[in-house]
Amino acid sequence: MTQIAAEPFPAPEPHAPEFDAVPSTQVEGRSPWQLFWSRFRKDRVALAGLAFIALLVAIALAAPLIAELVGHGPNDRFQREMTDEFGLPKGPTGEFWFGADQVGRDVFVRIVYGARTSLAVALGATGAALSVGIVLGMMAGYRGGWVDTVVSRTVDIILSMPVLLFAIGIVAACSTTAEGCLGGLVKPGFRLVIFVIALFSWPYVARIVRGQTLSIREKEFIEASRSMGAGGRRIMFREVLPNLMAPIIVYGTLLIPTNILFEAALSYLGLGVPQTIPSWGRMIADGGALFDVAWWLMLFPGLFLLATTLAFNLVGDGLRDALDPRTQA
Amino acid sequence: MVRSRRSRGILAALAAVALLAAACGGDAEQPREAGEEGDLRGGTLRVQMESFVHECNFDPTCEFVSYANMIHTNLLQRPLMNYRHVADDPGLEILPDLAADMPEISEDGLTYTFTLKDGVMFAPPVDREVTSQDVAYAFQRMASQQQGNPYTYYFEGVIDGFELQKSPAEDVEISGIETPDDKTISITLSDPVPDILFRLAMPGTAPIPQEVAGCFPQSGEYGRFVISSGPYMLEGSEALDISTCDSMEPIAGYEPDRTLNLVRNPNYEPATDSPEMRSSNPDRFELSVNTNVDDIFNRIVAGETDTSPDDPPAQFLRQFAEDRERLPSNPVDVLWYIVMNLTQPPFDDIHVRKAVNLAIDKDGLLRAAGGELVGEIATHILPPTMGGLPSDEYDPYATEGFAGDVDLAMEEMAQSAYDTDGDGVCDAPECSGILHISRNEAPWTEFNPIIEDNLAAIGIELETREIEGGSAYELVSTTSENVPIGSHGGWGKDWPDASTFFEALFTSGAIQAGPGVNNNTGLVGITSEINEERELGIEGNLEGIPSIDAEFEECVAMELGQARLDCFNEVDRILMEEVLPYVPYRWDEETHLISDNITKWEFDQNAGEMSFAHIAVAS
Amino acid sequence: MTQYIIRRLMWVVLVLLMITLIAYVIFFVMPPVDPARAFAGKRPTPELIETLRHQFGLDQPFYVQYGRFVQRLFLGDEYGWPGFGFSYATRSPVREELFQRAVITIQLGAGAAVVWLLVGIPIGIVSGIKRGTLVDRAAMGFALFGVSAPVFWLGLMFLFIFWQKLGIAAGTGYVALSENPVEWFGHMIMPWIVLALLFAAFYARMVRGSLIETMGQDYIRTARAKGLSERRVVVKHGLRASLTPIVTLFGIDFGTLLGGAIITETVFNMPGLGTYVVQSVFRGDLPATMGVVVLGALAVTVMSLVVDIVYAYLDPRVRYT
Repeated sequence: MTQIAAEPFPAPEPHAPEFDAVPSTQVEGRSPWQLFWSRFRKDRVALAGLAFIALLVAIALAAPLIAELVGHGPNDRFQREMTDEFGLPKGPTGEFWFGADQVGRDVFVRIVYGARTSLAVALGATGAALSVGIVLGMMAGYRGGWVDTVVSRTVDIILSMPVLLFAIGIVAACSTTAEGCLGGLVKPGFRLVIFVIALFSWPYVARIVRGQTLSIREKEFIEASRSMGAGGRRIMFREVLPNLMAPIIVYGTLLIPTNILFEAALSYLGLGVPQTIPSWGRMIADGGALFDVAWWLMLFPGLFLLATTLAFNLVGDGLRDALDPRTQA
Repeated sequence: MVRSRRSRGILAALAAVALLAAACGGDAEQPREAGEEGDLRGGTLRVQMESFVHECNFDPTCEFVSYANMIHTNLLQRPLMNYRHVADDPGLEILPDLAADMPEISEDGLTYTFTLKDGVMFAPPVDREVTSQDVAYAFQRMASQQQGNPYTYYFEGVIDGFELQKSPAEDVEISGIETPDDKTISITLSDPVPDILFRLAMPGTAPIPQEVAGCFPQSGEYGRFVISSGPYMLEGSEALDISTCDSMEPIAGYEPDRTLNLVRNPNYEPATDSPEMRSSNPDRFELSVNTNVDDIFNRIVAGETDTSPDDPPAQFLRQFAEDRERLPSNPVDVLWYIVMNLTQPPFDDIHVRKAVNLAIDKDGLLRAAGGELVGEIATHILPPTMGGLPSDEYDPYATEGFAGDVDLAMEEMAQSAYDTDGDGVCDAPECSGILHISRNEAPWTEFNPIIEDNLAAIGIELETREIEGGSAYELVSTTSENVPIGSHGGWGKDWPDASTFFEALFTSGAIQAGPGVNNNTGLVGITSEINEERELGIEGNLEGIPSIDAEFEECVAMELGQARLDCFNEVDRILMEEVLPYVPYRWDEETHLISDNITKWEFDQNAGEMSFAHIAVAS
Repeated sequence: MTQYIIRRLMWVVLVLLMITLIAYVIFFVMPPVDPARAFAGKRPTPELIETLRHQFGLDQPFYVQYGRFVQRLFLGDEYGWPGFGFSYATRSPVREELFQRAVITIQLGAGAAVVWLLVGIPIGIVSGIKRGTLVDRAAMGFALFGVSAPVFWLGLMFLFIFWQKLGIAAGTGYVALSENPVEWFGHMIMPWIVLALLFAAFYARMVRGSLIETMGQDYIRTARAKGLSERRVVVKHGLRASLTPIVTLFGIDFGTLLGGAIITETVFNMPGLGTYVVQSVFRGDLPATMGVVVLGALAVTVMSLVVDIVYAYLDPRVRYT
């Protein structure tokens, strides 16, 4: 490949470059996981991030409970109490901690439910991207030849594409017929958003995995396996893959916030999940037009979005530092 | 750094205000009613809008709605007939414009003969008198297939011999149009059409100079070269080099998607016109595109621009709610509705449709859209401004405060087969997963939670899909897509006759195949024969769908007048009580925010927009 | 070296064709709005739509249309070279609009690039050198924030705080440089900062990481052992090695921005390529959409080509990959 070193990450606006500094994690002696964990534990900032994520997951799971405690469901409209006769919403009150939106829904409760959306989409899309990216990346790196050429060129082309624009095009195109795209498989909404995000994320994973596979391929233990008669696929999945876990975990964790932002950006442009499913990006978009009279609509979802991506980035950084002592601060 | 920037901003603002005050002097204190004619003349009207909303790039041969319609009929075009461009009923009366008088009608009621006024001139560089051949040429353009023209619908089968022909406009032959001399034109219809005069007031029928338009056969091309026959013209018209087709460069005054500037037509003779139709006050009109709607209205408040056709965002409505002089409001002849496809379960059962009508919180929808300044609640189809009954006189699905009534709705639902246990909640499998098309912008994004909730209360689970406006129309208007319910849509009149509300929306003849073609989205009057014959691709329940074709035919044949209106009101009633393809929820109000610079405000009821013909500015 | 350049050039052309082909499939074969229908008005008839479709050349099979598109692009059309065709919406050549808007997008991108390079790289270097100190932590904290914030939210917050509440920034919109330099700057500064913030943050992190990695290398230790001053070690040996990856990255990032920063342009209402393409997609104005796609793809591929050549010049090992 002509790109050396830097592996850019996907992001709705700028690429998020990250330095490809993760070497193989072969550590002799004690279990590498124990060493890793003891190092990770020392990174307090990363732990804070992890704690926040745990809290977020707990909130997301407990959303219905929270809604009951507050007394408002995410889609309960209190139009007459919380909007005026021009349809403009009222701000934070004792009962509505984060104020209400244009149809009188409780912003706080919607943010809590929005956590579910962001997490679900990010994890779903990242999971899909990882699956595809790992498989294709390994095959390209290990087999070489025309497989490598095809995969690498595809990766190159997708990475050169105007991501957001094509995302807009695909989402818009798949919304224009009743049944959606690919014969009804990809309908507008959750599935389409995950599909689009995964579509533009897997090349990054594939490229990294390929790079890693290339360097692992030359190691002695692989040669040993081969000389014992192990087949390609067996080697790939039993020898190569475990050694990829470390970088995969790191990059996977760092991919999640990027995908959260991507989903938010799509929602901002009106292409995300339907509005009965609260989404932070969507809430910011809907609130954006009114930011001069209803600042709470935009501020709170944005803060949560920021905090979540921050947390994932901290954890990802921590993981990376813990797995490679040389880059530890 | 910070402080200096802020104070620089303040200084600039003060300077601007001072300049403005100096320039406009005392005129800014003029009352909004008409003062003496002299006081109102002069100045520049500045308008900003999110987009020009041109159907086809300002070419009069295919412009016929909203803003472009208003600009053409008010300022640039002199069709045979026209309106006064004022508000309410007086604005819906038809009067001769290019014609010297009302037409002579033959004994059999089929031939209308018009005598043209003398001295109506085309703007420079054409610089000659308008003749009847110019009017005939306009019709030829509409019949030329090369133009790809939406007007053909209004005249095909109406004017004798008017058919879409492959030849270029100059070679098109229409047997029903004759020009015995330069000042006379006679139009012969194939059957009596009582509202023919309204059709002759549309911009496309106004005279067009062949020496210019003939160079632009493709639809929309002529838009950058429009030669006016009215009191104003495109700025820079005179610079157009009309010696050959190749020498013509687009007129500077119109830059698509950017600016549209109009100045006075030096060849315009006020004596050929009447002040009740056109006051022609400002010296200049400056229209420009500004994609940021909030910015537009901030500018209006700051006095940097005068007004906008766009709906003021709710915060501006609130800000000026007390100052109605700055916020004039007029009802327009537009209905917003939710359409239910009569062939798709569960909406193929009238009890379900009635339940839906009773369940929808129309007051909530109005509130979310911006409240009273945005419209009034619609209780049936024909708006009161078009002669429909007012909402307090006819509301077949009345609920307290128009808020919807779940109990009443459930009572109705209980009578439907889709409610298998009769408890008032839809529980058959067809009651869930129903595709609901809506738009992804405000206020639809605020409507959808309301609509979904209302319908969920009677057991109908919607799968809402919010997409771009144009895409939404296209999707729902494609018969083969079989969309069960859509709340994206609205409809406005084509001209001031009730028939324009019912024909395209409810007659079976209007149902056509093709992407986004069908306006009768409820599929009123559909039969399986029609479905096969026209290859509509409808999959659903095609048996026993009610139709209003017969009633419509009867009404549309009647002469204009109260009897015709009563007839259409009866069609409205039948539609609301026996057919019920819609939940009508709002009749629109057009509310404008205007700057202090505007000294006289008027509304063009026909176009449904502000009236450039009568507006006046201070400077 | 020339062989390398030629190979890369061919690759640029290939990528361009692939991207335009994919775009064609997305926007022509499954358009969100049928352009013929979009311009057919309120009461379309099937014949009318057919006529418009013919006028737009949409009645041809897909490969014919695409072939014509490529031919027009490389050989020019009646409006000039390169041929982008005419806009369905304005019936005027797309070229004019494209170039006018490209100017604005370039201004946005270039300005932001200057800011993020001037801010991001020094921060990264300082952080890398003073690793572990408060300065490092603060800088990386800022960088983390920049990396995590959604662009559109940041833009809205900036507008809310600096324009609405404090009144020190100009609002949204664009004023041409030739018209009024002061206002031009006033309107550009916030989008520049918002756009640059994210990149600056990424680059700071990357430079820091790269520098730390490089500084851990043996030859750096050797240089130190030789007795060179720390500053010499860092600047002469450390920086050069650690900054080269950034060159590559910058090429791609800048190239991508030149294709239109859709979200920033939308939030700040700038009439650039980004807002143009979104508008065109939803109006069904396909030639305009394709024009932006071509320009964007061209920008990215050309920039990465330039950058790769520079890189290959600096590091001969690369030429054989």
